[in-house]
Amino acid sequence: MFTYVLRRLVQSFIVLLIVMLITFTLPYFEPNGILAPAYIVLGSHISPHAVHVWGVQNGMFHPYYVRFWNYLDQVFIHFNLGVSYKQNLSVWGIISLYVPRTIWLALSSLILTVVIAIPLGIYQASRRNSVVDYVATGTAFILYGIPAFLLGILMLQFFSFSWTHLPAQPPDGVAPWAMFTNPLGFILPVMTLTLLSIAFLSRFMRSAVLEVLVQDYVRTAKAKGCSSRQVLFRHSFRNALGPIVIILGLYLPGLLGGAVVIESVFNYSGLGIQLVTAATSLDVPTVLGITLLVSILTLLGNLLADIMLGIVNPRIRVEGSGR
Amino acid sequence: MTKQASEEPLASQHDVDGMEFESRGQWAMVVRRFVHNGQAMTGLVAFALMLLVSGVYTALHPNQYSALSTAFNQGPSAAHIFGTNGIGIDMLAQILKGVLQDLQVAVLVAAMSVVIGTLVGAFAGYYGGKVDNVLMRFVDLVLVIPVLVVLIMLAHIVAQQANNWFYLAIIIGSLSWTYIARLVRAEFLSLRERDFVEAARALGASDWRIISRHMIPNAVGPIIVNATITVAGAIVLESTLSYLGLGIQPPAVSLGLLIEQGQSAATTEYWLFVYPAAFLLMLIVSVFFIGDGLRAALDPRKNRVRS
Repeated sequence: MFTYVLRRLVQSFIVLLIVMLITFTLPYFEPNGILAPAYIVLGSHISPHAVHVWGVQNGMFHPYYVRFWNYLDQVFIHFNLGVSYKQNLSVWGIISLYVPRTIWLALSSLILTVVIAIPLGIYQASRRNSVVDYVATGTAFILYGIPAFLLGILMLQFFSFSWTHLPAQPPDGVAPWAMFTNPLGFILPVMTLTLLSIAFLSRFMRSAVLEVLVQDYVRTAKAKGCSSRQVLFRHSFRNALGPIVIILGLYLPGLLGGAVVIESVFNYSGLGIQLVTAATSLDVPTVLGITLLVSILTLLGNLLADIMLGIVNPRIRVEGSGR
Repeated sequence: MTKQASEEPLASQHDVDGMEFESRGQWAMVVRRFVHNGQAMTGLVAFALMLLVSGVYTALHPNQYSALSTAFNQGPSAAHIFGTNGIGIDMLAQILKGVLQDLQVAVLVAAMSVVIGTLVGAFAGYYGGKVDNVLMRFVDLVLVIPVLVVLIMLAHIVAQQANNWFYLAIIIGSLSWTYIARLVRAEFLSLRERDFVEAARALGASDWRIISRHMIPNAVGPIIVNATITVAGAIVLESTLSYLGLGIQPPAVSLGLLIEQGQSAATTEYWLFVYPAAFLLMLIVSVFFIGDGLRAALDPRKNRVRS
């Protein structure tokens, strides 16, 4: 198990380096090349001399590989993500300011999703083709198809402008606890994110339980005289949990990705909006820093999913560690 | 089933009761199951209708979607059945153009995903061993690349190009083939052990011939289903990017862009928002219905277990 985790960590690190290399290389394709940010930071009418000075100050004239090496050295040896071109802040400052806000959004909707979607999926599987099952499946179908931004706008229309008057925007103070000044403001964004994930997870849970319910050991358990409740929770649920754990692990970065859209729709300044703003204004250090963070989370999510899977379902562990 | 029945030829024949039987090929059966699936046919008809109307309208009035008029912010009327926007452009023309634009992107993305995904998955599954390991690590890499980040960075670069839908589609397509690759690999891992592959190899068929003539046709069902789902996913991704201002740029139109432009007027000039949103939703859900119907038609066994 230990060597398996170690090997996976090394593999993940290599993947991380390649992702960083790709993100680092992308700005080179800008129309003005690597100096393009200067026109955004200093204004579009600056003199060529000023651009040159800016380039020298930011070490833009070193060869490509030297710049990448310097960046790696800065990040991994000095644990310094650099300074934002656009905002007068270090990249780490930006991240530590906005990460708690995004995590709060993602985590509260993740917990709600798990609490609602898993029982819903089990119920749908055990009462297959009932009215509840049909309604839930139909709703999930539409929610599964609807783009996140459209659902967000519709929520705003119905619950903030038309039927009820929930606050349209979560509180926006920068101080760490300012976001709890008006908890009602979180209802709409969290609800949007939760609905989208429930559509996905409940369908998945339903088919996972259905697949288990036709297994022989479930029939055996029934034949032994277990109550249907016991069969459902002791025999089926535990075995259907495996796929759910993987999905949740893989879903973690997806939740952050979804947060980008939700944050834009509800104008909630979190990491997602920072990323979009940084990318559009060519604030390369900020983009690199946030990408690094998201990639690490993705890789850890994958790894955790695999390890958790080994704990939930010991049969897979041997196969997984032999990889 | 009696022995006699199984020995009879499969051609059209008369039974003793006078009932007529017709033999059907595998694909005819698939089509039959699909046609008898109400949900799938609803999706197909809605999709075909949208494609037909937008194609014909755009062919007849190629520049209508950007033609200005003095009818500013008019509600739906006989002249403009979906109303006009703030600079007097007919919303119907814009929406139909947007549908075509979205489909253009989505079809290109799906085509790229199918070609790349099938090839990568086929080689990995057929050769196995080291080839499989290298290709699958590559798939892992592409899966881990935060799609949205790359899209945002590249979309910003691409946004400045003139005909940017094409570049946008290439970017989305080059990042969304991983699922099909994993799927085709899994199919190939089991197909490779089958007797007909062994037979083809014994007859001296080359690797490429075995892959392209014998194995890919046997894996085509899941590929088609997932190509459909890729189309829907590409529409969602493209409209999201356009909504964020990173996808299709004006003066070109896409449904995501129209929703972004009409969003602020949703309560006062509802037609600017409601119609593009309705069309986007119809487009995506119809593609999903088609995909779900195809899945049910191509794999009836699974369907029986599940429902």
